[in-house]
Amino acid sequence: MSESHTRKVLEPFGWIFQMITGLLLFAFVIFHLYITHLTSHDALEYAKVVERLSNPAIKAFYWLFLASASFHAFNGLRAILLDTDFGGRNERAVNAITMLLFVVAVVYGGLLLITF
Amino acid sequence: MEREVIFRIRRFDGEKTYWQDFRFTARKGMTVLEGLYFIKENLDGSLAFRASCRMGVCGSCAVKINGRPRLACETQIFDIGSTLEIEPLDNMPVLKDLIVDMDGFFRKHEAVKPYLIRRDDDYENPKELLQTPEELHAYYDFSLCIKCGACYSACPASATRSDYLGPAAITAAYRFCADSRDEGREDRLNLVSGSDGVWRCHFNAECSEVCPKSIEPAKAVQRMRLMSAIHMIKSIFR
Ligand code: SF4
Ligand code: FES
Repeated sequence: MSESHTRKVLEPFGWIFQMITGLLLFAFVIFHLYITHLTSHDALEYAKVVERLSNPAIKAFYWLFLASASFHAFNGLRAILLDTDFGGRNERAVNAITMLLFVVAVVYGGLLLITF
Repeated sequence: MEREVIFRIRRFDGEKTYWQDFRFTARKGMTVLEGLYFIKENLDGSLAFRASCRMGVCGSCAVKINGRPRLACETQIFDIGSTLEIEPLDNMPVLKDLIVDMDGFFRKHEAVKPYLIRRDDDYENPKELLQTPEELHAYYDFSLCIKCGACYSACPASATRSDYLGPAAITAAYRFCADSRDEGREDRLNLVSGSDGVWRCHFNAECSEVCPKSIEPAKAVQRMRLMSAIHMIKSIFR
């Protein structure tokens, strides 16, 4: 129990955004299922996917979807690791690595979306 | 009414852990603690357990009875059944038989500054601090904690991370933060908002389930968590 944890902002933000992204993901998954499975039978064909993604609004939607899913996943992983004594001892590394993975996922996925 | 019961006790002698059965005739109205005293006085004097007040006030007799942490002095033998499995509390090192080392538990309690903090402390000229009944009710329930450790024993977050402050300590912090006379909220919020603090709670609420004083530590932890989040976000803009 160190007394030096003043101003550790990742914890409250992690908690709040975990709830927000959780709610967003619920809506996003439904919308994604709707446009890929419920609108037409050939929505998953390559040409259809390309056509859909040429729409900037859909692109933006998928980027937001990606960002929410990555945050939720890596922040969740961060919390699971910090729940252990091992994670507690390596707190800085756990925070840095999981948040780095989140950024990498968003940037890499974002690049793929742009090139599409 | 009298009936034969079996006390199956998980014992520890400093080296090995083993289960031992004790059979005796219990009468209606006998508590688990009376059963333990009966064993100690008549069957095996080496049995070790803690107790003091025998009336649910001191918090020293908490043990696991059939898997659930309870106060031995407030549990009727016949309410449980005819076979009682009695074990020491979890998440604390066992010293002997039913006695666990509560030092870490109390250190965590101490760490959150569980006392009124006033800027104007003046013991020479004490002054009365007034409080309305509403202000009292804001924290009253949470002040009933007897530090028995039942909540800490049932808490899954305390099981996986040994420096997690735990439900009792965070409840104590909340009890003072919610007190209108207190001025130490900032100190305590900083103490409970590290990675070993409120964020480790998964709101399983097992603590509220087992607390013999029904004070709902899970509620206090969640409130403390919200308070910490608001406090830390505000502190960025300061
Ligand atoms: S909060 Fe309840 S269970 Fe926990 S130590 Fe206090 S009285 Fe015991
Ligand atoms: S002996 Fe004091 S609470 Fe049970």
